[in-house]
Amino acid sequence: MKTRVLRYSMLTVVLGLTTYLALGFGKRSFEAYCPFGGMESLWGLFREGQFSCATGPLNLSMLVAVIILALIAKKAFCGWVCPIGFLSELIGRLGLKIIPRNTKLNPKLNDRLKLIRYVGLILALYFTYRTGELILRGYDPFYIIFSGFGHGTLGLVTIIVFTITIIGSFLIPMFFCRYLCPLGATIDPFSRLGLIKIARDEELCIDCGDCQAACPHDIAPHEMIYVRHRDCTNCLECIDACPEKDCLTLKVKL
Amino acid sequence: MTIPRYSIPILTIVLLFAGYFLRFAFTQPTTSVEFGETGKAKLVCIVDGVKCKGTANYFTNMFNGVEGISSIETIATEHIATFTYDPTKINREQIRKIIEQPILLRDGSSRQFFSCVKMK
Ligand code: SF4
Ligand code: SF4
Ligand code: SF4
Repeated sequence: MKTRVLRYSMLTVVLGLTTYLALGFGKRSFEAYCPFGGMESLWGLFREGQFSCATGPLNLSMLVAVIILALIAKKAFCGWVCPIGFLSELIGRLGLKIIPRNTKLNPKLNDRLKLIRYVGLILALYFTYRTGELILRGYDPFYIIFSGFGHGTLGLVTIIVFTITIIGSFLIPMFFCRYLCPLGATIDPFSRLGLIKIARDEELCIDCGDCQAACPHDIAPHEMIYVRHRDCTNCLECIDACPEKDCLTLKVKL
Repeated sequence: MTIPRYSIPILTIVLLFAGYFLRFAFTQPTTSVEFGETGKAKLVCIVDGVKCKGTANYFTNMFNGVEGISSIETIATEHIATFTYDPTKINREQIRKIIEQPILLRDGSSRQFFSCVKMK
C-alpha cells in the first residue's frame, strides 16, 4: 500500500474529529486540542499560575507531546495529524492539477520567506501575552475555518488574510506551513534534532530528482545522505516516489 | 538502524494519546478565588457556559458575597468548577440555583448563561 493512502486516511480521521468537535458534539471545543494553545498559555501560567483566555491543560499536554514527537520523528505531527497541513496539501495538489507548472521557488527566496513564520510567532506571543487574549484567532486558518469566522475574528481583516492564505496555498504548495505557521516555527528547533529521518543510499541513487519533485516542502533528499531539514514531516512521499528499491529508507540517526 | 515506515504513524498515534492523558499532570486552573470562609465540603460541577477566562471570571463573580462559599476554582476548557463550601450555610441545590439563575442583560432582558450539567 502506498504510504499516502495510510497518511491521508489518518488525516481524514483527524479532520473528521475536528469537524465533529467544531459542530459542538464533543465534550470540549476543537481549540482545546491545539498544541499552539500551550504556547499561548505559557506566560499566564508563569505569571499567575493560571491558564489564560480559552487555553487549558490539554493544549499544554498536546504541545509537550508534539515536541517529544518532533525530537523522535521530526514534524510527523504536521505530516500525519494537522488538519491545516492536510487542507493546505490538498489545495496545493488541486492547484497543480488545474494549472500544471513548476512550483519550485528560488531556494534563497524560499528560505528568506520562511523567516516570516518566526516573526509571526514572536508577534503572536507578544500580543497574546500582553492582552491575555488569543489574538491569533483573527489570522489563524484553523480557528477561522472550524469556528466559521466565529468570536474573535476581525471581519474584513480576517477575510483578507484568509483569502491570501487560500490563494497562496493554491499557488505555492504548503504556503501557510512554509511561511506563516507559528506552531511550525515552534517545532522547528526540535524537528532539526529529530532522531528518525530519511536516509539515502548513494550507491543506489540514480539522481533522477523524483524525491524532491514529490516532496510537499521542496526538500531535496537526493542532495543529502540524511534528511535533517527542519521542515521534513516524515510524510514518506519521497520514499514512495523513488524508483530505486531501498535507496531511500527511514533510519534512526543522531 | 533502518526502521519500517509504519513506525511513523504508530509513534504519532502513541504520542498523541500520551499527550491526551498527560493533561492530568497540568492542574493549574483558569481562575482560582478564595472568599475567606472556612467550609471544607467539596463540590465539582460540570458547567455549560464556562468556556474561557472571561466566562470563568463572570461565573466566579456570581458568588461574590454568597454566604458559605469558601473558594471556587475553574478549568474553563474542561468546563469544571470546583467549590469548597460550608454545608451548614449552603447546600448543593442552592449552589445550582445560583449557577442557573437568569442574568440581566443591558437591554433589560434576562437569559440563563450557565447550566450545571453534572454535580460530583
Ligand atoms: S506547519 Fe503548522 S499548519 Fe502546517 S502542518 Fe505544521 S502545524 Fe499544521
Ligand atoms: S523529505 Fe521526504 S519525508 Fe521529508 S517532507 Fe519531503 S517527502 Fe516528506
Ligand atoms: S528519487 Fe531515489 S533515485 Fe531518484 S534522486 Fe531521489 S533518492 Fe535518488
